[in-house]
Amino acid sequence: MTLDLLALIYLSAAANGLLVGAISLPLIISRSTLFALTITHAVLGGAILGIYVNEVLGVGLPVQLTAFLVALMLSILVAELSEKFFSEDVSIALAVALATTITVVFSYLLARISPAGLSQAWSYVAGTSAVATLSDLQRTLSSLAIIVPLIHMTSGEIKYISFDRDGAAALGLNTRAYRYLFFALGSLAASTLSMSMGVLATHVLLAIPGAIAVKLFRRKLFTASYLSAACLSLGGYALAQALNIPPSGGIGILSAIAILGMVVAREA
Amino acid sequence: MAEIELKNVSYSFGDRVALEDVSFELNSPFFCAVMGPNGAGKSTLLKLMLGLLKHQSGIIRIMGYDVPREAGKVRRLIGYVPQVIDIDYRVPMSVEEVVAMAALSRDLPPRIMTGNVRRKVREVLELVELDDPSMQFSELSGGQRQRALIARALVSDPRILLLDEPYSMLDFNMKCEIAELLYRLHKDKGIDIFLVAHELSPCIHLEPIVILLNKRVYAIGRAGEVLTLENLRRAYPGLTEVPAGFILGEDHG
Repeated sequence: MTLDLLALIYLSAAANGLLVGAISLPLIISRSTLFALTITHAVLGGAILGIYVNEVLGVGLPVQLTAFLVALMLSILVAELSEKFFSEDVSIALAVALATTITVVFSYLLARISPAGLSQAWSYVAGTSAVATLSDLQRTLSSLAIIVPLIHMTSGEIKYISFDRDGAAALGLNTRAYRYLFFALGSLAASTLSMSMGVLATHVLLAIPGAIAVKLFRRKLFTASYLSAACLSLGGYALAQALNIPPSGGIGILSAIAILGMVVAREA
Repeated sequence: MAEIELKNVSYSFGDRVALEDVSFELNSPFFCAVMGPNGAGKSTLLKLMLGLLKHQSGIIRIMGYDVPREAGKVRRLIGYVPQVIDIDYRVPMSVEEVVAMAALSRDLPPRIMTGNVRRKVREVLELVELDDPSMQFSELSGGQRQRALIARALVSDPRILLLDEPYSMLDFNMKCEIAELLYRLHKDKGIDIFLVAHELSPCIHLEPIVILLNKRVYAIGRAGEVLTLENLRRAYPGLTEVPAGFILGEDHG
């Protein structure tokens, strides 16, 4: 590999790491790891739906857009269902069932009309960026430019609402607006990450840096989350290169080691 | 003008009636305790007074402001202390963060903790006798948690404190300490107290105004007038009489 390409790959990995670090901590602090499950399932369904629509209608819809929109809609569905009808667990289970149905139905329909489309859809599961492109990096940097400032402006309120929802509402915080903003940012981060590292690795990686920060540090939690996410992402890419596997595989192996490390540290 | 005025307030969760035709007025200064069994609608009453639940029928006015229409103005006059069981302790929050958000909530984001806010937080923590703002909320004892939540309610200089079950999950001595603290705030700072509880023994010696509630108001007045066996029998259908007195129910939460 040329030096330029290597630099691009590791720059993309670092940018992905920062994106994960920004969203992971609020996810963990607001006890929303199950919600991350909804987003990643929805991103996959949305991506496959986007590919199917492009194949059938012959249009060039950006697949990340359909992935983001489906993730956002299902996140809002979870919020509304858990606000008015069911517990959060039940609402998440319903949304995941819906996302999985979209995935299965449109994968089947896609397989009937375009095997190439199906393999493109599969790349969202395993990840595409064994070789990063400039557009991968641009996409991640654009998402970073939106997500990082908004997360830092609102993470205190998101945390507070998780701590005491009624108390936060009594203080005049618009709990619903903050929740929706957080869901939108989570959906954007997940759809961006899934484009490069794949849904599976995104799902695993979204929770770990935040968990490391909360379990092992008392202060500077965001710094800890950013650093551990960047290490996992960069290390995952390096490991993948060494083992000659997709980056999602390297990230998955390192993430599993990180989880084991946390368990051992807690037991000790 | 009454400081708190409720007229014919009713509220239902679907088919389940939570409050039925509740009316009362309180003039400042007051130290008022709403007493009733579990499921009597006490927390619902507080949430309606704060505008946290959508108003269904009747009139609620706090210091002349109509709650459904002017909830924002009302919340600026009120400090709210929720039930401790509604707090998620697993969220990592320091005492300073818990209290400071109440001071910062009136600003626009990003809400940055300035020196003035820090000073104000320390002042109210001193008032409730908590000395370490860096402690994690999850590491506090039950009584300290209640004090931290009271400090949060105090930081915006409220005229009225609304407290939801402030004595729950505490041993009796701690309940009495919290009751004394509230009474001191009432007497020294002129803050009106409106608390709901299913037992009043920790504060009964402070002679609060008592509202006996079980979906509707059964009696209102001084403790000695309200807490008669006849009133309690009507408000507490499950009341058990024993030779030494009577049993109202189990501890909340």
